[in-house]
Order: sequence, then C-alpha cells, then structure tokens
Amino acid sequence: MRIRLLGLALAQLALVGVAVGPQLVARTTGEDYLMRVRPVDPIDPFRGAYVTLAYPDLRGPGGSGRPRREGGERGDVFLTLVEEDGFWVLGERTRARPDSGPYLACDDRSWTVRCGIESWFVPQDRARELEDALVDGGVATVRVDSRGVAVVVSVDP
Amino acid sequence: MDTRVTSPTGTRPATPHQLTWLGTQLDAWCEEGLLERDQAAAIRGRYHASRRVSVGRLLLALGGAFVGIGLIWLVAANLDQLPPLGRFLAVTAIWLALLAAGEALAARHRAGAGPRALAESVRLVAALAFGATIFQAAQSLQVPAYEPKLVGLWAAGALLHGYAVGSIGPLAVGQLAGSVWFIWQVGYDEPSGLSVVLALFVLSGLGLGLAAVHQRLRPDFESSYRELGALFGLAGLFAAALPFLTTDDFGWSLGTAVGVTAALLAVVAGAVLGRGDVRIEPVAAAAVALVAVGLVLWDTGAETTGLDVADWLHALTSVGVYVVVAVGVAALGTLRDSWRLTALATAAIVVFTTFQSFAVFAEIIQGAWLFVLLGLVFLGTGFLFDRARRELAAALEGESR
Repeated sequence: MRIRLLGLALAQLALVGVAVGPQLVARTTGEDYLMRVRPVDPIDPFRGAYVTLAYPDLRGPGGSGRPRREGGERGDVFLTLVEEDGFWVLGERTRARPDSGPYLACDDRSWTVRCGIESWFVPQDRARELEDALVDGGVATVRVDSRGVAVVVSVDP
Repeated sequence: MDTRVTSPTGTRPATPHQLTWLGTQLDAWCEEGLLERDQAAAIRGRYHASRRVSVGRLLLALGGAFVGIGLIWLVAANLDQLPPLGRFLAVTAIWLALLAAGEALAARHRAGAGPRALAESVRLVAALAFGATIFQAAQSLQVPAYEPKLVGLWAAGALLHGYAVGSIGPLAVGQLAGSVWFIWQVGYDEPSGLSVVLALFVLSGLGLGLAAVHQRLRPDFESSYRELGALFGLAGLFAAALPFLTTDDFGWSLGTAVGVTAALLAVVAGAVLGRGDVRIEPVAAAAVALVAVGLVLWDTGAETTGLDVADWLHALTSVGVYVVVAVGVAALGTLRDSWRLTALATAAIVVFTTFQSFAVFAEIIQGAWLFVLLGLVFLGTGFLFDRARRELAAALEGESR
C-alpha cells in the first residue's frame, strides 16, 4: 500500500508539473523583454484576483486584442517582436512558427488572442492599487523562451 | 457503504424507514406461515432505530467538502504573507499530509479500529487539496487566468486517486472536475450552441457507457457514473430544447471529435460488456443525443416579435421528449434503487417545465394567468409523470425477472 501511495503522489506531482511546465521552462531559460501594458481588474474563481493586461503595442494586425481571422482560420499564431525605443512591439503576425526569435507563441481559437501574458495574479487589495497606479499605462517584464512561451515576471507603473 | 456498526448490546442500527419496511415484511411472512411470531420478534430484535450513522456520514462528507473548498478559496485569496514558493510548498505539504492521513485511516478501518466514513472524508479533502495544489502552482508561476487545462489536470489526478485507493469521494471530484473541463474546453475551442449540446451528450454517453462497463469490472463505481450520465443527458436535452440555441458558428474542434469518438466507444463497450437491462442505458443515451441534435438542427427562425406554428411545434416536441426522458430517468432510479436519480428527474422536469412555460406561454399569457397555467401544467405533468414512472418501472421489473 505504501508503494501504491508513493506512486500515486508522484503521478499527481507529475500532473502539477504538466500544469506549470511551459511557464517553468520560460522562467528558467527565457530572456526578458519590456512591453508597455494597460490594466483591467477581474477575478479568477479558482485563483483569485488578477490584473488583466492589455498590450497596446501588440495590437496592430492582431496582437492581444480582438483577433483578425484571415478566411476564418484560427488556431496557433505567432507574433514576432522588434525593439522600438527600448520596448518590444509587434513585428509581424504569422501562422507558421518563425525560424528565429524573439516571438510569442499564441492562439486565437477564442474571442481574443492569448499569448499567456494577459494576466498578473496579485492579492485583492494590491490588484486595486496596481490598477490605479497603471491607469496611464505601465511596463511589463516578459520572459520568453526559445519556443515563444512567455510569462510575466513583473509589472511596474 | 459500511453497515457493520453495532451497538454495545450487539444490535445493528437501521433507519426508522428500514425498520418499518422490515416490520411489514415480517408480519406478512408470519401471516403466510413462513415464520413464527417469536422468530419474527427475534429478527426484529436484532436491530435498533438510529439516524446517527447517516447523519454522521453526512456531516463528515459535508465537512470534508467545506475544508477542501476552503483550501481552494485560500489559494484564490492570494495570501501575500508568504512568498509564492512558500505558498506552493505549504499547500503541497497539506495535500500530501491529507493523502497519507486518508490511507492511514483507511488502514485502521480495515483493521477494524476506525470508521470508514472518516477515512472517506479525509480522502475527499485530499482530492480537493490536490486541486488547490495545482491552482497554487499555477498562481505562483503566473499561468494565464481562465486556463481550462488546470481543471483537466485536477480531474486526471483525482480520478487516479479514486481508482488507486478505490474511493468514491476522489472519483466524484474527478468526474465533476473532468466534466467542467470538457465543457469549458469545447466551448473555448468552438464557442457555439451545438458544441455545448454535443459536449453534454458526450459526458452522458461516457457516464452511462462506463456505468455499464463498471457493473462488470468495478461495481462500487457503477452508480456514480450512471448518475453523472443521467445528469448530463437531462442537461443536454434542456439545452437542445432552448429555442434560441442553433448551429451558428459550429465547427468540429479536435476536443469535440475526440469526445464524440470516446463516447461512442463507451456506448458500444457498455452495450457489449453490460449485464441484463443495464446494457440498454448507453444505447438509450445515444438515442436521446440524436433526438437532441435534431432539435438543435430544427431551426424555427429568429423571429422575436411573436410565435408562429413552427415555434409551437418545436416547443411541444421538446416538452414531449423531455417528459419521456425524465420519466425514463425516474424509472431508472426505481430500478437501480437510486433516490438521487429519481430526485434528479423530478427536479429536471420542474425546472424544464417552468422554463418552457415562461419562454413560450409568456408571449401570449401574462401575469397571474401565467401562474395559473403553470400550476395546471405542473399538476398535469406531475400526474402523468408519476403514473408513467410507476408503469414503466413495473414493466421493466417484470421483464428483468
């Protein structure tokens, strides 16, 4: 029974690893890019308060705003990044994975493009403070790995 | 369920309802000459009336659910007194301690030294705490909000837990979380009404198909799958009967295709492996799914100014089909001795009738007359529902003998 219990715990821990694997790899192997952000303040029922981050520089033809679907196509989409005045902005949007980075691996299956960097979890009171502090915009440090998986590591006014 | 609880005098507990039934049967057997009066008294004397077992079990299950949900809520509170890694380690330690405690208590029960209900309660908390661990890990590493994959992984872990230790609590957590994940994922990939109806019937087919399979392989999990299948079958038919639910924006996503294939396999497996009339259940689920898809495909137009003949026909057909399916579920509850199925069917017919009355009849009848009409619809439906349930159950019982 002990072996079965140990096996169960290890298998379940592996599932926890699967849940956060891409973000863990991005955090440990990725490089940092500064992007301009604007906040909104919602709640996730399982994980509490977070600030939704909109990326004005990634809108353009697609970006993290409402997706533009050529011919109704949707699925994986990649946003290449170029530096402009110290911040990283949208270069081009493509359905094929770019040969070289930096780029964001996103998907537009839903009503918006999701690149994994649209939320920043903080305690409820700090979410409100941050929302007020970022009303005129702020800067997010986004860590991106070689496969385009991105994770927000800090948000500053 | 464990019933091996005895009082200090050596008698076993039974609910007042059970004792009443036993008394009636013993009297009948005495009158038929099968038993002497003193023998009947001796049998009756082996039991004492008690509600303590069921109330205690209920409180333990409720307590377990509250503690587990509270843990997930604590994760959602995003307590910043601890750093993200500290929070993750604390939640993981709580989950592992609960996992080990549940099995230690189960081992004590097997050795005859402790109640099974307590072990089951702690196992339930451990399954919920596993969800808290996943959500805390995701929060600590800033996994994007509203990510259905997390609920899916929670379901996988809880199902693994349920099968590894043979416990209903973690199994139920896994079934519910898995259902939420599947509907969410399908709705996310292809947001359309027909996608949601298909997702609900995939869960219904899986539930009833796997119930029939478990009847042979794992009987203690059979009823849990059956109740899940019936719940989502009724929910799917409810959704399909909504007049505004159409095929707009529908497309086959990978999730929908895989789900439908898995449900079909489960239905076939249930029909082949099930014993007796249980094998009919998954086939019936598939038939109801086809009717439901037909109701969605039957588009009566988008007129909002009034009801035409097509709208009335759609509504009446929907009501007729729903009543027949609900009666079937209620009869199934009688056949399988599941009060939960009967209660589910009754609640479903009340909610459905109310909704359809307001959605259809409210267009032409308003105010107090609508309530009078709704009451009459309830009275008529209730009478027909109860009569049909009894007759169907009696007929099916006769056939199964």
